[in-house]
Amino acid sequence: MAKMSISKALKDFWYGKPHTAEEGGRRLGDLHEDKTHLYKHREWRGVADTMYYFYNIWLYNYIFMVKDIMVMHGPITFAKGLWRYRWVGQTYLPVLHWFDRGLEGMRGEAMKASAWHYRAMVSTTIRQFQRMFAADTRLHGGKQNDLYKHTIAHNETVWGGVFYPWDGEITNVPLEMIPYFVTCHVNSHTVLNYIDAVQSIGLPGDPCPMCQAESGIFVLDDVPDYAPAVITCNEACDASVSTSTLQDWFFDKPLFSLPMPMLFDDPLVKKYVMREIEELWKFVEQQYGIPFSWEKLTKKLELQNELQRFEWEKWEVAAKSDYYPVNGVAQALYRIYQTQYGDWEIWHVTDKKVRKILEKCVSKKINSFPQTRHRVIAWSCAPLYYSNWCTWAYNCWGLNVIINMDSLMFDMEIRTDSYEHTLEDMAQYHMWAPMRRMAVGGMHHMFELWDYMKRFNCDMVAMYDQLQCKGVQGLHGLFEDEFRKRDIKAFWIPHALPDSRTVSRAEIRRLINDYMSTVMHEEPLDPSLLDFDDSMTW
Amino acid sequence: MNKICKFFVKLLGILFVVNAALFAVFFFDLDGKLLFNVVEPFLKKHYDNMERKDTLKAPYEIDKFPKYDFNS
Amino acid sequence: MKDLKHLIYFENLLQEANNELVQQAKKDGLRAIGYTCYFMPEVLLDLPGCFSVRLRAPRCTSPDIATYYMSARVCHYARSLMERALEGGFNFLDAQMATETCTATCRFQEHLQQKHLDSVDDMRIIDNDDFFCEFSDVPFKNNEISYEHYATQLRAHVLQPLHDHFGIDISDEAIRKAVEQQNEVSRLINEIGDYRKLDNPTITGYEFHVIQLCSLVCPKYLILPYLRETAEEMKTREPDMKKEFRCKVVLAGSENDDPDFTKLVESCGARVVVDRYCYGAVESRQIIDLPEGVDPVYAIAKHYLHSSNCPRFMPQDEMRARKKRIAELAKEYHADGVIIASNKFCEYWSYERVIDTVILKRDFGLPVCSIEKEYINTASGQLRTRFQAFVESVEIKKIQEGK
Repeated sequence: MAKMSISKALKDFWYGKPHTAEEGGRRLGDLHEDKTHLYKHREWRGVADTMYYFYNIWLYNYIFMVKDIMVMHGPITFAKGLWRYRWVGQTYLPVLHWFDRGLEGMRGEAMKASAWHYRAMVSTTIRQFQRMFAADTRLHGGKQNDLYKHTIAHNETVWGGVFYPWDGEITNVPLEMIPYFVTCHVNSHTVLNYIDAVQSIGLPGDPCPMCQAESGIFVLDDVPDYAPAVITCNEACDASVSTSTLQDWFFDKPLFSLPMPMLFDDPLVKKYVMREIEELWKFVEQQYGIPFSWEKLTKKLELQNELQRFEWEKWEVAAKSDYYPVNGVAQALYRIYQTQYGDWEIWHVTDKKVRKILEKCVSKKINSFPQTRHRVIAWSCAPLYYSNWCTWAYNCWGLNVIINMDSLMFDMEIRTDSYEHTLEDMAQYHMWAPMRRMAVGGMHHMFELWDYMKRFNCDMVAMYDQLQCKGVQGLHGLFEDEFRKRDIKAFWIPHALPDSRTVSRAEIRRLINDYMSTVMHEEPLDPSLLDFDDSMTW
Repeated sequence: MNKICKFFVKLLGILFVVNAALFAVFFFDLDGKLLFNVVEPFLKKHYDNMERKDTLKAPYEIDKFPKYDFNS
Repeated sequence: MKDLKHLIYFENLLQEANNELVQQAKKDGLRAIGYTCYFMPEVLLDLPGCFSVRLRAPRCTSPDIATYYMSARVCHYARSLMERALEGGFNFLDAQMATETCTATCRFQEHLQQKHLDSVDDMRIIDNDDFFCEFSDVPFKNNEISYEHYATQLRAHVLQPLHDHFGIDISDEAIRKAVEQQNEVSRLINEIGDYRKLDNPTITGYEFHVIQLCSLVCPKYLILPYLRETAEEMKTREPDMKKEFRCKVVLAGSENDDPDFTKLVESCGARVVVDRYCYGAVESRQIIDLPEGVDPVYAIAKHYLHSSNCPRFMPQDEMRARKKRIAELAKEYHADGVIIASNKFCEYWSYERVIDTVILKRDFGLPVCSIEKEYINTASGQLRTRFQAFVESVEIKKIQEGK
C-alpha cells in the first residue's frame, strides 16, 4: 500500500495529478483560499508543465510586461498613468492572475497555445495604454505634444482597419477598449466604479451595463486626453448611440459618427456605408491634414487577411478533430481583440508560435482536452467578468467550449484588387461588428447557431443571456422554442456583461451544475469545483 | 582560473537562490497575495481620495462644432 | 371650458387599434399598413388605396405571452404590442412597415415578419394571408448621403412592396396627393395646437394628446372631417375664467401614446403645452414641403430626417442642437418648465433624459422634472407626488423671480 502511494506520489509529481476524481484527481478547488480565491499555492502540473508555466508563462510575462513598458514610452510615462488612472493601477498589476484563471488545469499544448494568446493581448494592451499616456495632455501639463497630434480616438467597436490608410502616421487608440473592456476580464472590481458613477448622475440601471461603464469612465473623469478628434458609431445598440452623446459632452472634441446599419444583408445598405466610410476618411484628412494612402490601406489589409486565413485553419482543426490546442477563453478573447483592433505585428508573431503548436498537435494526434464530454458552442455575448467560466466548465464537467459567437463574427477576407471591392468588403466588415452581426443584428443571424453547431461538431449550447441586452432578450422565447423543437441540449448563462453584482460567478456555476446534474444526470469530473466562494476575487 | 571558477560558482549560486526565491513567489502565489492585500488596497485608497473634476460642470456649447457633411 | 364636441368620440377611437374608422376604411377596400416609429413616413403609407395606423396597445397591462418571447427586461411598449398582436388585435393589418430604429420594437416587428427559413419557425402572429412585414434601414444622420440612402430605402422597402403586393399607385402624383392630405391634417393639428400658446390656453394637453393620437391611428380621410370641425369649434372656445393650472410645461421624452399620462400631469397643476415625444405633434405635424421639380421621395426622406429630434441621431451638431430645440419650444409656448419622461428600458431616452436634466436647467435656466415611467402607468401615485412637487418648485421659482 505504502509502495503504491509512493509510486502514485512520484507519478503525480512527475506528470501532475490526473484530472478526474476516479483517478484520485487533482481537486483544483482545494488550491484556493476562500472568498479571495487567491492560491494557497499554485497548481502543480507535473515537472515539465509546472516549469513551463513558471518560466515561460509567469516569469516570461512579468519580464515582458516590464520590457514592453520600457520600449513603449518608458516607465515614467507608465508611472504617471498608473498614478492618475484607476483602471490601469487597479487592473493591470494582477494580470498574471488573469492568466491563472484562464489557464487553470490546462496541460501541455493547450496550456502553451492558450498562454501565447494571452501574451499577445497583454502586449497590445500595454502598447495602447502607453500611447494614451504618452499623448495625454493631462500628464504633460496640458501640452499637446506631437504624439497627441498623431493619435485618433475612437469608439472601441469602430474597427481599427478604417485607419489603415494612415498606418505609421496616425495611431488609433480605442477610447474604451483598455480603460473598460479589458479591465473587466482582468479585474472585475474596477469597472463597478464606472457603472456606479454614471448611475449617480441619474442614469437608470437597466441600459446595457457595457455602455454604462463606457459612459461612467467619462463621468468619473478617468479618460486620458490623448487625441484631437474622435470617431464614434452606433455599435452595437441603442445604448451605444446614447453613450456617444454623453461622451461627446465630456470629451468635447470634433466627433465623427460612423453609422453601422443593422440591415447589413441589404446591398443598398452596403453602398450607403461605403459612402460613409469615405466620409470618415475625409474627416480624418481634414482634422489631421495627412492624406489618405491607398497603398498603406491595402498593405495592412493583406496582413489582416493573413491573420484571417490562419484563423480559418484553426477553425478547421477545431471543427474536425480533437487536436485543437486553444481553450475556450483564449480563443474568444484573442479573436475578438484581434479582429476588432485590426492588424498588428504581435498577432502575427503569436500566430506563428501557435501554428507550430497546432501543427504538432495535428501531426502527433495530441488531444489537449482528453476529458471532453461535450463539445460546446457558446452563443451570444459572454460575461466579461467571467470569461474564464469555460475553463472552469471543462475542469469541472468536461464541457469543452470549441467555438463561440464572438470568434465567428468577422468570417471574411477583404479584397484588395480594386478600390470598389475593398471599400465594399470594408463596409461589410464594419457592419459585422462585434455583437451586431449576431446578437442585435437581424434576428435570423442569431439562429445561424444551428449551422455553426453542425460545422464545429458541437453537441451542446452554452447560451449567454445578457440580461440587459434588449436584442437578445427580445428573442429569448424563440430560442427556448427552437431548443425544445430541435432537442438541443442547451443551458443559459445569465449575466450583465461587466457587472459581476447582477449575477455572480457562483450563481453562473450553480446554474451549470444544476443543468449538468439534473438534466444531463452526469457526475462532475472534479467535485472540488462544484461549489466554492470566490466572491471577492479579481 | 580558480577565481573564475569561484565567480561562476558564486554566480550559479546566486542564480539558484534567485530562481528558488522566484519559484517560491510563484508557487505560493506571493505576488497575488501582495497585490491583493497590499498594493490594490493602497491604490484603491489613492484613487478613491483623488480629487476629480465635477464633470457635470463641463461646458456644453451647442454650436461649437460644425456639421461634418463632405458631400453637400 | 365647454367640452369639445368630438372628444368622447375621439377617446373611443383610441380604445382599440382596430377602431371604428379603421374598420370603415377596410370596408372601403383600403389596405391597413401598420408602423411604430416616426421614421417610417406615414405619408407614404397613406397613398391612395391604403392607410397608415401607428400601432398602440391601449389597456395592455399584463403582457404575459410577450414576456415569454421577449423577456421582462424589454420595453413595456414593445411587449404590449407583441401581446396585442398575439391576442389577434392586429389581424386587421395588411402589412407592417418596419424600422429597426429601436431594438425592442425591431424585435417585435421581426416576430411579425415571415422569414421562411429552416433555422427558425415563423410564428404567423398576424392571422391574415395577405400580411407581410418589410424593414427599411433608417440612417443615424441627416447629411446628404443619408437623405439619398433613406430615399432609396423608402423606394425599395416601402413603395415597391406596396405596389407589388397591393397594386398601390406609387407615382409621384399619388405621393403628392398623399402629402397634400397629410399637410392638411398637420395644418389642422397645428391650428388646434397653437391655442396652447395662449396665456390661458383654450385646449388642455390631454385633449390635444387625444386629437393628435387620433390623427396617427385613424385613416386620414376619415378623421379629417372631425379635425376640421374641431378646428372650427376651437375658434370660439372660451377659456375658463380662472386658470385651472399653476404652470405650463413641455412634456418631452420617449414613446407616449397614453393620454391618461398627460391627464395625470395636468391633474397635478401643470398644463402640458408642448408634446415633444414619440407620437407627439412637434415633429410629425410639420408641413412637408414638396418643391416642384424635386423628387418627392427624396423630399420626404429629407423632411423626416431633418425634422426629427430623436436621440437616435448621432451627428455631433445634431446631438447638441436638440437640447436647444427643447428650450426654444419652451420659449415659443411660454412653458415654465420641462418634464422629461423616459419609458423604462428605453436606452435612448435614459441617457438623453440625464443630459437634458442637467443642460436644460444649467444652460437654459429651465426647471426640469426627470422621471422614468412605464408604458401604461399603474404607479400613478408615485408620479403624482413627483409632479406635484415639481409644480410647487416651479411656482416658488416664479414667485422668487417676481412673476
